[in-house]
Amino acid sequence: MTAPVLAVHGLTRRFGGVTAVDDLDLAVQPGEVLGVIGPNGAGKSTLVGLVCGALSPSAGTISLAGDDITRLDAAHRARLGIGRTHQIPRPFARMTVLENLMLAASAAGAPGGRHRSRDRRADCLRILHRTGLSDVADQAAGRLTLLRRKRLELARAMALKPRLLMLDEIGAGLVESETRELVDLIRQLRQECESMLLIEHVMEVITACCDRTAVLDFGRLIAIGSTKDVLADPAVAAVYLGTAAVDHAGAAPAAEAGRIVEAHQDAGSGLGMAAVDISDRTVRSLVDVGGERDGGPLLTVEDLTVDYGGLRALRGVQLTVGHGETVTLLGANGAGKTTFAHALAGALPLAAGRIRFDGRDITGLRPDRVTALGLAQCLEGRRIFGSLTVEENLVLGAGTAAAPARRERLDAVYSIFPILAQLRRHSGVAMSGGQQQMLAIGRALMSAPRLLVLDEISLGLAPIAVDRLYQALSAIQASGVAMVLVEQNIARGLSLAQRAYVLSRGEVALAGTPDEVSRNPALAALYVGEAADR
Amino acid sequence: MSLPDTQTLLQAVSSGLLLGGIFALGALGLSLVLGVMRLVNLVHGELVVLGSYLALALLNSAGLDPLLAAPLVFLGVAALGYPLHRLVLAPVARSGEEGPLLTTFALSIIAQNVFIQVFSGDTRALDRPYTRTSVHLLGITLPTVYLAGFGISLAVTAVVYLLMTRTGFGRQLRSSAEDPTAAAIVGVNVARVHALTYALAGGLAAVGGILIALCFSFTPTSGTEYLLVGFTIVVLGGLGSVFGTFAGGVSLGVLQSLGAATLGDGYRTFVGLVLFLVILAVRPEGLFRRRMAA
Amino acid sequence: MTAPDLLTRAPDVPGPRRLPPLTRELGLLAALAVALFLVPYVAGEYVLQIGYLVLQLAALGTAWNLLAGYTGMVSLGSAAFVGIGVYTVAELDNHSSLPLPLAFLLAGAAAAVFALLVSPAMFRLRGLYFTIGTLALAEALRLWMVNSSLFGGASGIFLRSRAPKSYALYWMVLGAAVLATAVTLVVLRLPLALRLNAIRDDEDVAKQMGVFTFRTKLIAFSLSAFLMGVVGGIQALNLGVVEPYGSFGLSWTVDIVMVAIIGGLATRTGPWIGAAFAVVLEEALKGYAELHLAITGIVVLLVIRFAPRGVRGTLTARVRPRASLTGDRGR
Repeated sequence: MTAPVLAVHGLTRRFGGVTAVDDLDLAVQPGEVLGVIGPNGAGKSTLVGLVCGALSPSAGTISLAGDDITRLDAAHRARLGIGRTHQIPRPFARMTVLENLMLAASAAGAPGGRHRSRDRRADCLRILHRTGLSDVADQAAGRLTLLRRKRLELARAMALKPRLLMLDEIGAGLVESETRELVDLIRQLRQECESMLLIEHVMEVITACCDRTAVLDFGRLIAIGSTKDVLADPAVAAVYLGTAAVDHAGAAPAAEAGRIVEAHQDAGSGLGMAAVDISDRTVRSLVDVGGERDGGPLLTVEDLTVDYGGLRALRGVQLTVGHGETVTLLGANGAGKTTFAHALAGALPLAAGRIRFDGRDITGLRPDRVTALGLAQCLEGRRIFGSLTVEENLVLGAGTAAAPARRERLDAVYSIFPILAQLRRHSGVAMSGGQQQMLAIGRALMSAPRLLVLDEISLGLAPIAVDRLYQALSAIQASGVAMVLVEQNIARGLSLAQRAYVLSRGEVALAGTPDEVSRNPALAALYVGEAADR
Repeated sequence: MSLPDTQTLLQAVSSGLLLGGIFALGALGLSLVLGVMRLVNLVHGELVVLGSYLALALLNSAGLDPLLAAPLVFLGVAALGYPLHRLVLAPVARSGEEGPLLTTFALSIIAQNVFIQVFSGDTRALDRPYTRTSVHLLGITLPTVYLAGFGISLAVTAVVYLLMTRTGFGRQLRSSAEDPTAAAIVGVNVARVHALTYALAGGLAAVGGILIALCFSFTPTSGTEYLLVGFTIVVLGGLGSVFGTFAGGVSLGVLQSLGAATLGDGYRTFVGLVLFLVILAVRPEGLFRRRMAA
Repeated sequence: MTAPDLLTRAPDVPGPRRLPPLTRELGLLAALAVALFLVPYVAGEYVLQIGYLVLQLAALGTAWNLLAGYTGMVSLGSAAFVGIGVYTVAELDNHSSLPLPLAFLLAGAAAAVFALLVSPAMFRLRGLYFTIGTLALAEALRLWMVNSSLFGGASGIFLRSRAPKSYALYWMVLGAAVLATAVTLVVLRLPLALRLNAIRDDEDVAKQMGVFTFRTKLIAFSLSAFLMGVVGGIQALNLGVVEPYGSFGLSWTVDIVMVAIIGGLATRTGPWIGAAFAVVLEEALKGYAELHLAITGIVVLLVIRFAPRGVRGTLTARVRPRASLTGDRGR
């Protein structure tokens, strides 16, 4: 039996206290296209980085066609035939497209004379032709559109003549027709390199291209097998749709190990159900539910379009939030949800569109001004300041509020999340993920918002922690403040909503009441690939 | 080269310790600016020298003692630093890191030559009665001004520490340093915090410049040496750490004095630079380590 | 996809220019060299002295450009390499009777060897930290030269041979400027140029595309050092007596950076334009040395802000605001 093209054994990579890839065994056989899927933070991109040599493993071995390459640097591995693309394209921006390829081609195989260099050029031009980049061969790579940048990533990796080609989320951010083109391209390229490893959130690409698929969650391999079987596995669907309550609970604290506060404390005193007894008055001091300034909705988003480095992350999003209304924004990874939240906050320049809030045009306003107007954000990934204590994080959120108001709000946040009061002098990041999320919500509340935007608060948390957070949210909701809940988890997201929108590839794909949205058969397809295709 | 005796060594260590503490104040702003906004401020040395010259000018024109003039000088240079950042540095900061770096380089050239134009190229010193007296302790002699300067530097460092840890500005500064995007969304005016940090750094540099000028003579081009000494202190003390910078200054001062005592006085700065290069080469991430207000 | 960060911005990317054939550019350079070679037959002493300064800066700026412009390694350590060249020729002059061209080559070689020796430490530093590291390196070397009793210490060395005539010096430095430019023109057409540019645009990805980055950076670093060493060697003859303060002085670095930035980074003719500008400005403000430097500093400030691609780059591509100095390195 021939050795697998790529084999990793016991591969582990830790970042600080977080284990991104955890004791992973995986092999890619000759002639095979292996898909790797998993939710955000599952360790997929870390895996690519480890294999190509951009990252060094904390433990474990990597071998290419039977030879141990664990100790080789990235340049040597590239020359041995490991090619990769980057999730966010990283072209050599000031070189031409052809030069990008020529660089990679010059590393493929032994250096040769003049004749060889002419061959290489012809090779590169052929690859450009196949990837549809011939017409821009002499343009600066930094000027390409997203789709072409992605094609360039692919073309450049092909120019290395790799034995193993690793594609990292090459489908993210593309519209459907672009995705189809990409799938065709990958299928063609199969004949050119020995094996491929495909990391992908866009299920369409996985189902169309991969022979086998592996599922990662919290850095561990949770399933591997033929693509059809793996995608039909309810446990896999659960990982994606967030219904895998029990499985998750076991895995989640792994990432939090070593925190000052033990996970069991999280589940006990800090998160205990009994703790939820929040008076309406307490919460009211934290929010601004003042009267309507004009007859219209609190927030009106018109034709919101955002570009990011040649990538159109949002296109023409329309959305409204009424006074005191809770609106949920659903969508798979890479659909543009967080970009939407950042754009609302004023942290991203808009390519087009307008945002009206509370009777004012806030388009282009600086983030701190937006917050001061009463549009508060609880950011994805929590973004707690570790150099500040818990209480300092909260006080920072109060902005320029006078000391008595600040004190009152602080007390209110502590009464909603008593554990924060206990840990007030700890560093903001020396807590479990659930506690950090409470802090992030509390920090957003400290500005006494009229509208609270909560971005992916359940991400990476154990279900019991999420339960507790949603209980607090329902109390906050009862106070009458308006909320935008950005969620990947459909059931959670819809539980509090009066209306919901579903984003797909930067556009609103569905909108309506929670009932309408959850019954729509298209919803599942938007998450776990196109059901019709299977 | 001969090994010095214990007495000389003790003398060298104690004066190096005091001088190091004084230079630490000169370096504190460099550390803050690098830590908060990732800006390598090559004009920092000139801000130190500007403090020296302003104190000299106030002494000569108004007879104001340099130590009493320190608050004025602090405010003056801080008031210069704020618009300098907003109008000159912030606009180029968005397009890569070479722009701001080379802008500060150009500023340092401009400043040095303006100093020569205004104050002439002569070597100057802040000469006061207390710069000529000494204190005798356990057989070693220490200039009074070293002791006073060390004390002032330590006190100012403590005030900055309190500013960073106990005030709203300190919270805003630390959050902006750690995650500017998140800080902005939480409600911090990051551009203003950056400019204020730059102003604070300039003011501290200027006060450091007064203390240094009470101990050593200076010229319009002394800033380059102060800059490199500052970098060494920052690398030794850890980026953005207030008391770390002070400790870095003290350790550099001691090491330099030991170097000067064994190799000759001319090698004082050389020892520091070699130390700097060695630390950089061995631990380049030393510069990246950041913990505000430790 | 992670959300883009508030403070970073996608760079504006200048369009690459297709290079004309090497023979044509070398032909143009040769024609220019011949024309400049003939200058001493028609011009007086003053013009030759000005010419010496312009060509010296053009050579140094071109050498720096190879490193900073094409490879993205912004060094503030140029003074060290110039100074080593100065001292090599001074020592050779006193202790040997080597022909001058060989002495200049050895001056360049000495600077390149120094670059080689410090590269393991310097290349651990990236971006801004490389810049600070080179600045500290040059200052350390200067202080050591001042204090050490080797090489004449602070008082310096007298050269045994008499200073050549000004036309001879002019021709020597013309040779150096032409050499530096020819080297650049050739390098830009080698596969090496792709590797240098790739490192400038994204060093990590370059590595993942099979570029041996250390080796490649070392080539640029030592080639640049070699050319600076040669210019330093010529300067030793010009001075007649060399001392460490000036030979290793920061003013070399200042002049080089200003010339390259004003002319335009990563352009072939930029350093020549920048050198001519700097020297003309200096002459115009003769007698006001400080004012001249301060004004040059202001010009650099304005160029970085409003025409970051320098005079040459701006002329070729019209003004495209907010282009970064050396492209996409904001990460």
